[in-house]
Amino acid sequence: MRSRNGSYYFSFSICSVVIFLFSSTLLNATDYLISYRYVVKDAALYNETLDISESMKECSGKPTKSLILHSYKNNDLQKIISINSTKFIDFIGTLGLHVKHTESTINTINKSTTILTLKTTCFKVDFNDNFVKISPLK
Amino acid sequence: MSKLIISGASIGLIAAIFTGCAAYGEGPSMSSYMSDTKGLSEISREAPVPQPAPQVATPICDMTSVNPVLSNECNMHISVIGQGVSPVNTVSPAQAYALAKRAAVADGYRLIAEKVRGVRVDGDDLIKNMMVTRSTIRTSVQAMIRNANVAETTFKEGLCEVEMEVIISRSQFAQ
Repeated sequence: MRSRNGSYYFSFSICSVVIFLFSSTLLNATDYLISYRYVVKDAALYNETLDISESMKECSGKPTKSLILHSYKNNDLQKIISINSTKFIDFIGTLGLHVKHTESTINTINKSTTILTLKTTCFKVDFNDNFVKISPLK
Repeated sequence: MSKLIISGASIGLIAAIFTGCAAYGEGPSMSSYMSDTKGLSEISREAPVPQPAPQVATPICDMTSVNPVLSNECNMHISVIGQGVSPVNTVSPAQAYALAKRAAVADGYRLIAEKVRGVRVDGDDLIKNMMVTRSTIRTSVQAMIRNANVAETTFKEGLCEVEMEVIISRSQFAQ
């Protein structure tokens, strides 16, 4: 349907399509909320939890030191991190982990529990063809 | 004629949106990739940037004294060896190694926290008829550790040992 000047709707629709295509192909940085926790009981790994969720609203802050992981043409962050789990866990160790350790010795029987936690942190994730760039926001 | 002018204007608007969006995007937009992959000729054409003065690295404190104190003049280097064992029900030696290393790293973090923050110790002894019937010792530590590095890892007979180190400076602590 044409407007009175003949091409307003046409040019508007072209512009909106261009903006949509541009934002979906080039500016595909997304914010993700990531938390990590693992429990060691009596010197053996007991439980490990890595929670990844796409942020429902844009996070504030500036990206700091970043990590680049191979994505193998995958767009699922959870899968990418599970493939490169060692590298990612070493990286979040540099961001800061909260350590909570309790140990009890009852009648010479020793039990210990250590919990390492990365509090929920917002990461900016840039997906590319062969790699992803993950940067925590501060 | 007017249609031609309008279509020309719309193409110009699209081009403006492209360039504007590319300049606005903070992520790896096309313009940023283009600027990252500069040719040698472009680099040589840039004006010489004044180099900042080289920073003098803060020396590491002498840790041989009985009670080393963190001062402004030097940083403190803390090194620990964490130990961890693999669980019984592992399916492969590689999994056993990975899990034991994870446990050893947690132990290393705990040892660093104990050195930096100290340990809270609670003890109870229950004595009945002049005999100790129950003896309990509880210890706990809580801390936040940042920038700890794994320097060396060894794995022998199910026991993994990791050497972890962290360098702390006085400026990292709130004054």
